[in-house]
Parts: sequence; C-alpha cells; structure tokens
Amino acid sequence: MIKANAKKSRVIFHIDMNCFYASVEMAYNPKLKGKPLAIAGNPEERKGIIVTSSYEARSKGVKTTMNIWQAKKLCPELIVMRPNFDRYREASREIFKILSEITPYVQPVSIDEGYMDVTSSNMDGTPIELAINLQQRILNELDIPCSIGIAPNKFLAKMASDMKKPLGITVLRKRELSKTLWPLKVEEMYGVGEKTAEKLNTIDIYTIGDLAKKDPYQLKQLLGINGERLKNRANGIDTRPVDPDAIYEFKSIGSSQTMPEDTTDLIVIQRLLKQLAENVERRMKRKDAAGKSIQIMIRYHDRNTITRSKKLQSFIEEKEDIYRLADELFQKHWSGEPVRLLGISVQDVEEKRNIGQQLDLFTYEKVASKENLYSTIETLTEKYGKNPFKKWSPGDKKDDIQPRTSFQKDFLDDYKR
Amino acid sequence: MKFIIQRDQLIAGVQDVMKAISSRTVIPILTGLKIEAKQHGITLTGSDSDISIESYIPAEENEIVNVEQIEEGSIVLQAKYFPDIVRKLPEKTVEIESDDNLKVTIRSGKAEFNLNGQDAEEYPLLPKIQTEDSFEMPIDLLKSMIKQTVFAVSTMETRPILTGVNIKLEDNKLTFIATDSHRLASREVPISNANTEFRNIVVPGKSLNELNKILDDAEEQVEISVTNNQILFRTRHLNFLSRLLDGNYPETSRLIPDQSKTKIQVKTKELLNTIDRASLLAKEERNNVVKLATQGNNQIEITSNSPEIGNVEEEMSIQSIDGEDLKISFSSKYMIDALKAIEYDEVTIDFTGAMRPFIIRPLNDTSIQQLILPVRTY
Repeated sequence: MIKANAKKSRVIFHIDMNCFYASVEMAYNPKLKGKPLAIAGNPEERKGIIVTSSYEARSKGVKTTMNIWQAKKLCPELIVMRPNFDRYREASREIFKILSEITPYVQPVSIDEGYMDVTSSNMDGTPIELAINLQQRILNELDIPCSIGIAPNKFLAKMASDMKKPLGITVLRKRELSKTLWPLKVEEMYGVGEKTAEKLNTIDIYTIGDLAKKDPYQLKQLLGINGERLKNRANGIDTRPVDPDAIYEFKSIGSSQTMPEDTTDLIVIQRLLKQLAENVERRMKRKDAAGKSIQIMIRYHDRNTITRSKKLQSFIEEKEDIYRLADELFQKHWSGEPVRLLGISVQDVEEKRNIGQQLDLFTYEKVASKENLYSTIETLTEKYGKNPFKKWSPGDKKDDIQPRTSFQKDFLDDYKR
Repeated sequence: MKFIIQRDQLIAGVQDVMKAISSRTVIPILTGLKIEAKQHGITLTGSDSDISIESYIPAEENEIVNVEQIEEGSIVLQAKYFPDIVRKLPEKTVEIESDDNLKVTIRSGKAEFNLNGQDAEEYPLLPKIQTEDSFEMPIDLLKSMIKQTVFAVSTMETRPILTGVNIKLEDNKLTFIATDSHRLASREVPISNANTEFRNIVVPGKSLNELNKILDDAEEQVEISVTNNQILFRTRHLNFLSRLLDGNYPETSRLIPDQSKTKIQVKTKELLNTIDRASLLAKEERNNVVKLATQGNNQIEITSNSPEIGNVEEEMSIQSIDGEDLKISFSSKYMIDALKAIEYDEVTIDFTGAMRPFIIRPLNDTSIQQLILPVRTY
C-alpha cells in the first residue's frame, strides 16, 4: 500500500470538474456550448430532478435538485438531457489517467473530483505552473474545464477549488487564512451541513473564523468529536493523507432509489426492493465480495428518513437472500406511511478470497466432489502466488456488470490499467 | 379472590411465568399475568401464545403452609408492574385481594398497592393435553440434552424449521438433533418407560432455552407429552407448554459421513484452550477461521491468520493420530461451542477430508455427536 507522506509540509491539489455532466455533453456536442443545459433523471417522472446544469442555466437560477418544471419556469429555453453515464465514466477515467501520469498519489473521491499529493513530484516549475499545465491539458485533450485548489492539506485544497469556477486555480496558504477562509459563512465550509450550521449558530458561530476561535470544549459538547475536527480544519489543520487505495476499501455495498411517486402499495415497494437487491448483488459480484449484515433505508413522504440494520449469522451475496432480509426488515419497521425512497446496503463486506466459504451440510457434497480440483489449484497457488485461475461466470459480460448510478466509484477500480 | 402467600414462593413463581410474557403480543390480555386461587393452591399463568407457562404453588406442601386464608377466584394483572411490586414489598408475606370491580389490593406490612386488574374470563384457555401418551425422564438429563444441542439451532428465518430442535422417541431411544446447516449437534438417551413414539416433532429453540432456565434441578422427574402441534413439559410445580414448528425436519442421518480417513484423539480442555487462543486473531467477518494441520508424531498445529492484524501458531501434543495427513479450516466459534457442549475429558474427531463434515464425539461414546462443516479457503 502506498501512502503519501503526511508529516512535512505538503502540496495537495484538489481537482474539481466544473458542471461535469454538462461539460461532457458539451464536449460531445459542441453545439450545446453557451446554451442553458441541464442533465436530469427521468424527464417523464418526478424523480426527474436536475442533477447538474451549465453555468448559462445556473445564471437563470436553475439549481441542482430542482425538478424539471421548476427549472423550466425559471429558464424556458432550458435544454434537458437524460444522463449518459457511460460517457461520464469514460471521461472520468481519462481524467484520472492524466492525473496519475503526474503522481501515483491520486485519490479519486467521486466521478468528478479527486486529490493529488504533488509534494515530491518532479516538477518543472512551481505548483501553480503545474496546476495551469494540468488544467490546460484536461481542457485541450478532453474539452472539460476544471478548477484546482492548491493547499498544504486536503481540506484547504477542497475549499480552494471551490473558490473560483470555472477554470479557477486558487492557492490557500495557512498564514493567510484569516483573510481568505475565515470571513466565509460557516455553512460554506466543507463538512458543515445545514443541520450542523444551525447548531453552530446557536453558540454564535456564523463564520469559519468564529469556529476557528471557539473554545474546543464547548464545540465538543455541541458536536462531539466532530466539533474538534471541524475546529482543526477551520484552523487549516488536516493530516489525512492522500490515499490512492481508498477507493478499494469498501465496508458496505448498497443501492437506493426514489419512487416515481410516494406509495404505500406493498407490491410496488417489494418490486423496488427486488430491483435494489439485484443491483446490490451485481455490485457485490463485481467486487467478488460477500457481507455479513444488511441495512435498509426508508425515506418517507415528509423526508423523514430511518435506517435499520441486522447482523447476520453467515455471509450473504445472492439477490434472493438480500431481498428476503431487506423485505423482512422493511415489514418489521415500516410505519405504514407513504414511502418516497428505499435503499438496501450489505455491510461488513469482505472480499470472498479473505473469508473462505463456510460449507453447508445440505450442499457440501457438491463442493467436496471437486476436492481434487481445488487441491490442485491450491498447490499451484502455493507455487505461483496468487490463484492463477479465475472462475468464469456467464454473467461476466461487460454490459451486465456496468455500474448504473452516478456516484458509484466501481468504474475507477481499473483506471490505472 | 383473596389469599395470603409467602413472598419468596410468589417471587419464584412470578419469575418463571414471566419468561413466557412478552410486551409485544397480538392478544393484548397476554401482556398480563393470570392468578388463579383455589383451595388447594395458587396457579400463575403467563403466555405469548408460542410458549405458555403455569406455575403452581400448593397451599400446603411437606407440612409447610405456603398460602392461607384462600377465597377462590381469579384475576389478570399487568405484568409490567406486578413482578417489581412483589419483589420490593417489605414483609415476608403478601396479601392479594380482588373485588368485583377488578380492583386488586396488594398488602405487605404497611405498604398497600391498588392496581386495576383485568377479567380472567378473557384470558385464553390453554389447550388441554392428553397426558396418557407421555413419558418421564430425569430433569437433569433433559437439561443436559437441551444444553448439548440447542446452541446449534439456526437463528436465521431462511429455513424456519431449522430454528427448532428435532425430537424423536423411537425404539426406547430419545434423540435431540439441532442444526443451522453449518454444524449439527445430536444427543441420544435410552428411555425405558415410554408408552408413546414420535419422530417428526420440532420444538422452537427459544422454547427449550426458556425451559432450561426455569426447570429446577431440585425436582426430579419431568413428564413429557406431545400432540401434533404442542408439547407439554410437566413437573410437580410447573406446566410448560410450547407450540411445535410446522414442517418436515430434514433427514440428516444420511448426510453424516460414516467412515473416516483421519482420526484424532485429544484432551477436550486442551484443544478448547488452544482453539480459543487462536481465535483471538480470527475475525468474525471472516467466519472466525482457524486451521488445523496434522504433523505426525501425535502433533497437530493450530493456526490463524488475519493479514492486517497478525498471525498465531500453536503446536499441540495429542493422544493419537490415525490415518491420512490433513489440513482443514473451520470456524473456531463452532468448534468452541461443540467442545464446550461435550462434558467429557477426552474426545475423538473423525475427519473425511478438508471439504467434508467432521464429527466430534466423547471417547468411546456415540450418544453425543457434534458435527462441523469446514470452511473452504481460497
């Protein structure tokens, strides 16, 4: 495992693609450039909410999470497109390839942002020059604009990349924080959501500067350990290393979806649960993993959201098991109120080669009959290191196991290959 | 209804029937505890419709008076409050009295509680079980059979029938079998006086766990009767009635290997301690895997390895090894459960290969079998 040096003064980049989906669409079809463009879920259904929009649309007041008719009211000439995740993934893979040519210390965070630790990269010139070159290269080769934040740690780099868009390059220096970071409203700080901001307001914290100077004890009382962390960040302290392997670590694998309309119809609900279970199974197969606990999420019509989970006696990976357990949890905890969104995730996930397969009294004969084969493989494995064979499964075709949603990072698993 | 009762007796009885009472039940009155006073004694009843428990306190036993001034009658009291009240009353005796308006007065010394009761007429009648088709056995033996098997029942509802213990009475042999499909525990005892036989009955593991807790070693015999959907365990002071699980218990005997390729004999406690040590580094998320390998010279090696934590190795001298060399991985938890259930100093373990179940038995005794399915590692 490679991890960047976390001790001495570092140079961290945060690269953030500007209006990523919209930019990719414009790169595909240059005629869209300069026009108000929005990418939205399913335009026919209510879940057709705006996922992202171009700056031209934003200037008319169009915002992410608005639904389509709200947006059209603000901007009647708005062009609405369905998302083409394949394109976005392809573009994202290309971007991370470019980044990893500069340094191995690249940590993708999502499809359109990532960190780089360029402290010990061979640079011709200053970090700023490197950032300019990088930004230009992504723009020239892929026609996609990005903003880059440069700072001594991840938090400040993230805040910096947000300060100038599109095509911004911002340097945040620790000694200038009182001028650059502290005047900002506390809700603009990365890691502070609406709820946390409200809480902070109750103890007279309105700016990031207020937070930086607040008594740590009081913050701890209000927010627990997170209070201390936020205060440190506000003071420009963040020791988290840029971890290129972070995307390979997974503790849970899940899938969630909003209903076309709020429902109390158990048949509709169970149909969705089945579909989610299938998604989860597909993603577990991609990772060759199995999990030992299951969690469901229910969001009600009033946005009230609950999660309920259950530890299991043995590992599960099949959609039938996932569905059955999720349905069991749902039936047990559903209040009967109309449901807006459902999610299933399998947790305590491990790669199958780490767990082994607990044999079953009623089916062990099937495995035992291949014992000779397995012991041959084991001998070869001992000889050559990693198991030289991979099980062929008929569902192993590319289309079958493509990730389906925007925030899945699975596709990044192999950007280095 | 009215009576004065020894508080210790009442506490013990209440504790027993509370095992059957759940605050979440479909029939609201079952959240209550029923008290019935007859001239010969007091009966307490609790039920969650799966399990029903009756505890009987005789008015007089061995020339000691437990209950006095009995006026017959019955009432149902809120189980949420009654047990705590009884436990905290100041004196050695308690007077309980109910009036026609279902008001209940509980007095002890200068303390007086007034509770609202419910009409005992509304409390469901427990099914009456014919006790002719029954058999008797010593309580301590029944408890040991439960302890040696019930831990192996499944806690998953995938196959509900496996959440119970399969009980058979055939050819004057009583057999308990439990399996969660990853391990199987069975115990067999001879029964001489049985005038009944049955095979496919399955008692919920939960019922047997509760029964084991409340059966009193001081009493000697328990009488067991079975109908097609209920089983009754009866002692002098207790009626314990449980629902049976619906469905056919899978035939397991043919799945159990009858020959062995490697046989080891080992001191139970030593193996248990070694496995327990190795399991310290075996992660639960990874099936608690430990490995056993035969070494020759009556040595075995127990190892466990978690890449991010570390590894452990321990060699162990054992009594004997016969047959082929063997390397096998299994869940340390299942092994520990099984070894703990066998109350003998030495065990033999029969292996038939790394992918097949192995069987642990006390030395020279086949009445207890603990079978474990191995883990296939990659």
